[in-house]
Amino acid sequence: VSAVFSRRRAVGRSGLVLVLLLVALATLVPVAWMLLTSFKPEQAIYEVPPRWLPSRWTLEHYGALFTRWGFGAMTINSLIVASGAVLVSTLLGALAAYGFARHPYRGSGTLLALLLLTRMVTPAALVVPLYLLMQTLDLLNTLTSIVIGITILNLPFVIWMLKPFFESVPREVEEAAAIDGLSLARVFWQIALPMAAPGLVTVLLFSFIGAWVDLLFGMSFATTPEAMPLTVGLLQMQTGYKIYWGPLMAGGVYLTLPTFLLAFALQRYLLRGLRLGY
Amino acid sequence: MQLLNSRLDPARSRPTGAPLRAPGRRSRRRGLPPGLGFTLPACLFVLAFMAYPLANLLYLSVHAYAPLRSDEVRFVGAENYSWLLRSDEVRESLMVTLAFTVTSVALEVVLGLALATLLARQLIEARGRLGRLLAKLCSSVFILPFAAPAVAAAIAWKMLLHPQFGPVNAALGVEIAWFTDYPLPAVVVADAWKTLPLVLFLLLAAILSIEPEQFEAAQLDGASFWQETRYLTVPSILPVLAVTTAFRAVDAFTKIFDTVYITTGGGPGRDTQVFPLLIWKTAFSHLNFGQAAALAVVAIVIALVLGGPLLRRSS
Repeated sequence: VSAVFSRRRAVGRSGLVLVLLLVALATLVPVAWMLLTSFKPEQAIYEVPPRWLPSRWTLEHYGALFTRWGFGAMTINSLIVASGAVLVSTLLGALAAYGFARHPYRGSGTLLALLLLTRMVTPAALVVPLYLLMQTLDLLNTLTSIVIGITILNLPFVIWMLKPFFESVPREVEEAAAIDGLSLARVFWQIALPMAAPGLVTVLLFSFIGAWVDLLFGMSFATTPEAMPLTVGLLQMQTGYKIYWGPLMAGGVYLTLPTFLLAFALQRYLLRGLRLGY
Repeated sequence: MQLLNSRLDPARSRPTGAPLRAPGRRSRRRGLPPGLGFTLPACLFVLAFMAYPLANLLYLSVHAYAPLRSDEVRFVGAENYSWLLRSDEVRESLMVTLAFTVTSVALEVVLGLALATLLARQLIEARGRLGRLLAKLCSSVFILPFAAPAVAAAIAWKMLLHPQFGPVNAALGVEIAWFTDYPLPAVVVADAWKTLPLVLFLLLAAILSIEPEQFEAAQLDGASFWQETRYLTVPSILPVLAVTTAFRAVDAFTKIFDTVYITTGGGPGRDTQVFPLLIWKTAFSHLNFGQAAALAVVAIVIALVLGGPLLRRSS
């Protein structure tokens, strides 16, 4: 009887594997189509019925990204915004997480709760008064304004992510270091921070992705090409009367590549961050 | 989504205990608690770029400020709020957002749960190198939608569903303008593609943390895959499932923006004008900051009322 059961299970199992493989394949279709289309010559994109593989492979759309659509300068902008957001939110977040974890003071619990509550603020709601503030500070059309917007939304996540790591550092290690004459700042920098390294990697990964994909702050604060990140630049190819599909597809691939490679390489840290809720 | 699974994180189960006291002279000499020094930079940053803007939002919501018409900021009392209650556009937008939230969360949770159970089985039971490789490969594939920027995902879907030269219509042999004829379902599908992996990975982690002996016992009793799922897997992950669903719902309601902005722009007409998009357009297209502020206040109140208790429960 058990042999019959296990054979039926085995058949059932391979059926389930097939379902899984089909879903996985289907998941790839949107990006695969974008990738293949980006290599098609202009007229092949508008071919009916469409064909999967380009009849002739070309890099012309990727070239146009840089010659016509200013992707060179925008790449630098996006990199500056991403590194700025990563740097500022990690620095502020790590300091705060360490303070809340190791040196609680009167009212710090309430303060932490309030900080974390800002995670619930709707980005599209915050961008309205933040725009007016940037206007007052004369920061519109600067990369700084975009970095600030992304960082303020990212900060609660960073604190929430790092606090447990600092709590798990053995107290004795820090106390011993303090007795050896290390200042509080050095205990943080030399003892606590290195022990929170896995958390820091997760924070770096999520902060970079969050900043790289941002559209809301970029398109609200930056209207001049000098301050435009790639996401906003991509939208320039979608005008009212014409959509430049070739460069649009190439730009989509270009925009996806860094975050995908990063997430793929660091997938161990990805799940940790997801669990804590990005 | 915030801290869904704190119990699983060993770091959090350790009691915090008394604050660390450094015997150094500096901390004693200065009266300030050392924690204040560490947390101050973040607090000041939040004060300047979150607390102040939010206060300004409240202020603006009871004023008329439309820089296109006049630079004057005039006190109007509850006028913006009474406009909001009367406006068809606002009511429609709330209904569209609600419809979007319900359908996309339902789709994500059902598909996410199904895929997570299938994948978990594979990861647990896979025998031999090929089986394991296959399981790993499948779970890796889902990193792609997660990591793809919403902007890129949206244009990919726009191409995929293009009425004339999109492959979906070609495969089905029809000529449907999906984002015009079925705008909401099309937006839901495009958005679910992007957010499904999140739900999938969270549920997968929960299933993988069930003790393997329980599955073995179920199989010894001759339970079918369906029975196993129904009586063992789902009940075991129910808390995670509930919190995931709730957080996804709050996020779907308050954060849907990029996908809609790029694929339909809120149209045709106002058919997909979700609430965040309505706020943004009122401020940045119509330059009516007073009304936009009132809308924003409503959005934040909804998010806090729905999401606040969740945040509290999970911490």
